[in-house]
Amino acid sequence: MADRLNMRVMLLILSLVFAFLYLPISVLVGLSFNAGGMPTAWTGFSLKWYGALFANRDILRAAGNTLVVGLVSAGIATILGTLLAIGIEIRRRKGRFLETLVFAPMVIPDIVLAIALLSFFSLLDVRLGLHTVILAHVVFNLAFVCAVVRARLKSFDWSIVEASADLGASTLTTLRRVVLPALAPAIIAGGLLAFTLSVDEFIIAFFTAGPERASITLPMQIYAMIRFGVTPEINVLATLVIGFSLVTLALSQRLNRGGLPGQ
Amino acid sequence: MLQRRITERCRIVMQDRKSLVLVAPAFAWLTAFMVVPCLLILALAFFRRGIYGGIEYDITFENFAMVLDPLYARIFLKSAWIAGLAALIAAVLGYAAAYAIASMPRHRQPALLFFAILPFWSNYLVRTYAWIVLLNREGLIVGIARALGFSGEMPQMLYTEGAVVLGLVYNYLPFVILAAYAPLSRLNPEISEASRDLGAGRWTTFRRVILPITLPGVATGFVFVFVLSIGNFVTPALLGGGQFQMIGNLVYDQFLSANDWPFGSALSMVLIAVMLVLLTAQTFANERASTGRQSAEPADG
Amino acid sequence: MTTLLSIRNVEKHFGRVRAVNGVSLDIRENEFFALLGSSGSGKTTLLRMLAGFETLSAGQILLNGRDISNVAPNHRPVNLMFQSYALFPHMSVAQNIAYGLEMEKLPRAEIRARVDEILSTIQLSALAARKPEQLSGGQRQRVALARALVKRPQLLLLDEPLGALDKKLRSEMQLELKRIQHQFGITFVIVTHDQEEALVMADRIAILQHGELVQCAPPREVYEHPATRFAAEFIGVMNFIPVQRDGAKLTAADGSAIHAAIPEGLGADIVAAVRPERLRLDAENCDNRLSGRILATAYHGLDLQVHVAIPAMAKPMVCRVTADAAEARDFKADDILTLGWNSADTRLFAA
Repeated sequence: MADRLNMRVMLLILSLVFAFLYLPISVLVGLSFNAGGMPTAWTGFSLKWYGALFANRDILRAAGNTLVVGLVSAGIATILGTLLAIGIEIRRRKGRFLETLVFAPMVIPDIVLAIALLSFFSLLDVRLGLHTVILAHVVFNLAFVCAVVRARLKSFDWSIVEASADLGASTLTTLRRVVLPALAPAIIAGGLLAFTLSVDEFIIAFFTAGPERASITLPMQIYAMIRFGVTPEINVLATLVIGFSLVTLALSQRLNRGGLPGQ
Repeated sequence: MLQRRITERCRIVMQDRKSLVLVAPAFAWLTAFMVVPCLLILALAFFRRGIYGGIEYDITFENFAMVLDPLYARIFLKSAWIAGLAALIAAVLGYAAAYAIASMPRHRQPALLFFAILPFWSNYLVRTYAWIVLLNREGLIVGIARALGFSGEMPQMLYTEGAVVLGLVYNYLPFVILAAYAPLSRLNPEISEASRDLGAGRWTTFRRVILPITLPGVATGFVFVFVLSIGNFVTPALLGGGQFQMIGNLVYDQFLSANDWPFGSALSMVLIAVMLVLLTAQTFANERASTGRQSAEPADG
Repeated sequence: MTTLLSIRNVEKHFGRVRAVNGVSLDIRENEFFALLGSSGSGKTTLLRMLAGFETLSAGQILLNGRDISNVAPNHRPVNLMFQSYALFPHMSVAQNIAYGLEMEKLPRAEIRARVDEILSTIQLSALAARKPEQLSGGQRQRVALARALVKRPQLLLLDEPLGALDKKLRSEMQLELKRIQHQFGITFVIVTHDQEEALVMADRIAILQHGELVQCAPPREVYEHPATRFAAEFIGVMNFIPVQRDGAKLTAADGSAIHAAIPEGLGADIVAAVRPERLRLDAENCDNRLSGRILATAYHGLDLQVHVAIPAMAKPMVCRVTADAAEARDFKADDILTLGWNSADTRLFAA
């Protein structure tokens, strides 16, 4: 039958799509180890550009800033997002408004949220800096944490809550001893996802970080460097950033076997 | 009976009061840093730009009228064209990829899907930058062509409309694969066998049965790619090299260089309006086609 | 009756597993034929080979003498009613039924006439415009049947057609399917794991086990003269009595003599089998007798089943007592009961 032919066509499509998805990234990773640093000629394996990168104070400071923004905004978003998810799920009267509100940051174009926050902060005369980036990042991180935890809650066996109450635990004790431990993998996964998103986020940070060099985040630094053109240092930075995202995502995936975030 | 209904109502109220405590902090945050700012630019869009860049607080529709100005309308159409093209290509490629994944053995599918979406979670700028490395005048593609003995004039690849479309497709393709895969994987395999059994060939089965049932997923992907692309300013700036503007760049300029915040706000609102219209239309279409989803198992008699 | 379908030495290998192993069957025109087996018996694989969804690893399938082994499913004059019904969710009932006729490129008027006709046959004319999700399980089942029947196939295959229905509806549909088969005069091949269903509906039953054909015979024959111990156990309820053979003499574990015709090829270790309804309480008039203690009684309305523990036998014997007999006599646990049966009702299998 033609099934074998069919299978071959499918494999061909898959190979082409995967090549399209992975070749450009792989080229970057490969080039980051190229001694000559230029894309057109391979001049031998070298780690010298990695050395150069770690000597670049601007990049290190940007990386530090990004880490701060990522950790703080993911931390806040994890707490608020988890509570929100539990709150929405136990609400008997499902509010369509609340659902839309939580979903909105995922669909509003980044640029719109960015300029809205910029206008908002400047109207209130808030000095821009890393703290405003954090305030802004919590908005979309919240949405993602909430989505991941809610996905877990969908398959959550609510009878264990009733069992806990039946055995004499108060609501708070039940939350602390039963609900949160059962949700822990999803909560950590959601937090890690939020952290990754925040570390990679560029547009909102770009608008809400303000003009000072001290509050430049890593993606802003990368954007500035890319506009200058192709340099070996960006290849290295790009490789590190990709590696970082993949490790965090893999970790989050391992913890939460519920499936890929966004699924 | 009445007694029970009253207790039930009390329980609901109690439950809601408790849940309110859980929901309140996030609700407050979203209100302060999303709802209010968005309402603010909605309001700004109706004010007038001051002579020296400030804002004059009298109501006007000028900003929206300006969107219709041929100069800006052209940018809008151009953006829509590029976003539409990118969304269409991504939809076709994404559907093909999702279809291929769904036709692999069941136990392989989760891993394949995972690796198809993985690039989506790496940095957007880095993924875009990768194409600069490939496409530029001293880039890898030119290098390979030279190495293969091609000595003529290479066409300009970077800083073209094609490069922007390519960049958008590349960045958003995983998203479409994910969206298109969901209904394909849920499709009962006996459905397409039934079509074959009733005398339809492969192509007819695909066109009349598989495609209509699984289209909503790819439509979702299309709308999202379109919306994300039309408001994008990074890809046009990096791969388009400022050769042409898209709405995203226009908004960017109003806020960071031209200092016309009311016009920038109006542009954003139009963007949001386009997005809302598309999402609503698509939700409606999905609801009409939702019969196609819960197909697999027959319910009880 | 002439042979419609010949299955000749058909095999299907999945890797090292032989899902179907050398099955040969002839199915006649106008026959209601059942493929019966538990899961993993190869019955579904065999059915899918008939429909064209599985290739044959070896053997041949002939339809009216023509080899259709390599004919694609859409070119076979054979239709399948799927277990999940596989109704097209985006099409109405009428569109679902018309689909197969459209594939034959029939004129529009004829398609409409045939769809209308079959809709009235299955009494669903009023629901023609509904989508499948708006139908009940029983209605979907009838639409699936109509969709396959409207093509007037030479052979209709039905994969567990009643599996998704509740018990009451199932017994109604068993008769309905028989009626429809009779009315259309089409050969039906049904796959089922439900032996009762097969007994009620089929003209002939093929029992499959581990991909091999165990027995192929009319229901009565399969029930009264099962070919193997497996067939005896799979169909209905059967009492098995381990016996030792010494020449022509058979002895049960408690020492009682058992009389039965010994078929060729049996060794020393044998099980004798007898149906519960063949056990009689007037044991003194019977060839064979066993006594034991009553363990329990189970009331089934139609009859009373008495479970009797026989000394030195692992499993108790089950005896079916008719309602009249049950009223005439009081069965109490721990009472001693002697069960009798005739040698003609005894079947012997290798242990």
